[in-house]
Amino acid sequence: MEDFLYFFSFQDSSIAFIVLGITILGIGSAYVGTFSFLDNKALLGDAISHSVLPGICLGFLLAGEKNPYYIVGGAIISGSAATFLTSWLKSNTKLSEDSIIATVLSTFFGFGIVLLTIIQKTGNPEMAGLNQFIFGNAIGILEEDLWVYGGLSLIIILSLSLMMKEFSLLVFNQEFGRAIGYPMDFIRLVFNILMILSVVIGIQAIGVVLMAALLITPGAAARFWTDRLSTLLILAGLFAVISGITGTYISFVIPKMPTGPWVVVSLSALALISFLFAPKKGILFRYISRRKYLRKTHRDHVLKSLFKATEEGKKGLSKDELLGLYPHHKKETLGSISYLLRNNQLNNIQGLIELSESGKTEAKRIVRLHRLWESYLNEYMNIAPDHVHDSAEKLEHLITPELEALLDNRLKYPKLDPHQENIPRDNDNI
Amino acid sequence: MIKQIENPLLEIHDLTVSYDQSPVLWNIDFSLPEGKLIGILGPNGAGKSTLIKAIMGLVEPTGGYVKIFNKDLDQVRNRISYVPQRESVDWNFPASVLDVVMMGTYGRLGLFKRPGKKEKDLAFNCLEKVGMTAFAKRQISELSGGQQQRVFIARALAQEADLYLMDEPFAGVDMATETAIFQLLQEMTKEGKTVIVVHHDIHSAMTYFEWIIMLNLHLVASGPKSDVVNEDLLRKTYGGKLNLLSKVTEIIRQQEFNPLKN
Repeated sequence: MEDFLYFFSFQDSSIAFIVLGITILGIGSAYVGTFSFLDNKALLGDAISHSVLPGICLGFLLAGEKNPYYIVGGAIISGSAATFLTSWLKSNTKLSEDSIIATVLSTFFGFGIVLLTIIQKTGNPEMAGLNQFIFGNAIGILEEDLWVYGGLSLIIILSLSLMMKEFSLLVFNQEFGRAIGYPMDFIRLVFNILMILSVVIGIQAIGVVLMAALLITPGAAARFWTDRLSTLLILAGLFAVISGITGTYISFVIPKMPTGPWVVVSLSALALISFLFAPKKGILFRYISRRKYLRKTHRDHVLKSLFKATEEGKKGLSKDELLGLYPHHKKETLGSISYLLRNNQLNNIQGLIELSESGKTEAKRIVRLHRLWESYLNEYMNIAPDHVHDSAEKLEHLITPELEALLDNRLKYPKLDPHQENIPRDNDNI
Repeated sequence: MIKQIENPLLEIHDLTVSYDQSPVLWNIDFSLPEGKLIGILGPNGAGKSTLIKAIMGLVEPTGGYVKIFNKDLDQVRNRISYVPQRESVDWNFPASVLDVVMMGTYGRLGLFKRPGKKEKDLAFNCLEKVGMTAFAKRQISELSGGQQQRVFIARALAQEADLYLMDEPFAGVDMATETAIFQLLQEMTKEGKTVIVVHHDIHSAMTYFEWIIMLNLHLVASGPKSDVVNEDLLRKTYGGKLNLLSKVTEIIRQQEFNPLKN
């Protein structure tokens, strides 16, 4: 608790500085990553982030110390080499994109690990910090480094905001952009540079192995919540910032704990929450709306059964008779009956369940839709009368009043369905 | 039957295009008049879309050239509007109908500038012409096929061009929408604009187009509807590919490089 207060009250100016750095870093990478996620190029970010390792090592070897300019420069160069190699191989060989990316990623990363091992053997006392680039350590960032990474993040955010319309065009409809004379290859190049930079800004805080997660996961998680690009970008940025700060805090509390894995763990938690609980697209929401729909269809079926009973001259059905009609759905049937009684669509008259006036209207509507659809299938789609029932059983719950009017119009307000049964109208007496 | 035009709006000279070494268009050579509703007809794989893309400079020809308004494409780009195939984009992209229509104004707007009120008004205007004003704020992922097609046409209108090239704008469109769009295109040609449409349904083509181009890897016909629509030319267009042409294509494909490239 003490740690928590110390960290989040920002009384330590170096912590405040690091949190600020993580915030703009997270926004920048989530911003670029969301576009690359929408462009279905999520793997490219992973390839770039693994590919910057040899550049980092070479930068270190050249400088002989952990100089941020050498290291960032090296990372940019090897990230660019990997990106260029990927697109060159794609246009000059028949290899598929995922195999190219897998090859480039492992080749560069393997080479990076070789260099890292060589540096370790030299016994350079500075090299202790180099391991941080694998899994990241936000707390270990020096103020000088923060200026470099923060500055690059601001460049990314500004470029993306300036070229929002161009990048949207690139992702949504590149051909159209080319047709109106936009230099789409140049725009793609700028975007790839921003991708590389967005990996580079995270190498120290998050580490090369897991940086791709900070690029892609925020956008993917935010996509569950919204269909608007502006909201998507804001949410993705927010997710990245929350998990970035969480990871930093844990690195602060537990010494030597790398930041990257904790950023990824908290990001994954946010993604899981989105996947489960987001309205409309979340799995829980879809499950609940499906259940609601199934309950409604069962109520429709109960009303329909009672309507058919009245067609046969009965006043209603007993509870047991109704339960007998749906032998495997006892609970649902009881639920439907009590719901319909509560809503005054049914009356329970001395144990006999009958349709009320409003129940009759609703039952007629369902039966009418069922039989109209059967007639349509039979007349317009040439489907035999004994093959139309199953489809009508599903469509009767879906057809809207507009579609009903259209059906009636096409079929010229029929009186009988293909089974010669009456199509009930609102003012019919039953 | 290929009818050439004096002072044409569009001139295509000996155009040859190949994809991955398979020639898909052979020596296409025709010229088109101004202010007409023009249909490009042909079977699947006849190279109809490729022809449109070659005119728009989206595919690199291996030979020949295209002149529009007697100029090179790059000099007249903002007088040409292009409607790509509906399936060529990802409709799950988070954008509203209005966002997509506004893209039509990007050409005149240029790089780095943001669309403002003028562009927004124009986009609304174009949405009204295709009867989609009520959908302006709707997300594009929620649209039906016919509505998507109308959004694309509204975007093309927002380009305020003189020549319109449309790739299968009637694919997946219901009858009522098809009629409405055709009427809109006819109004546009009455105002002197030229509209070229890749089309698959020969029946409606007969009703609406004034000029017809028939394609089957090579150019079969180009001319006024009454001159080119006859049984002989239709058989040449739809009666399978030329046997010898397929064999030559096969030989070219088996080379280690593209021998047709200049």
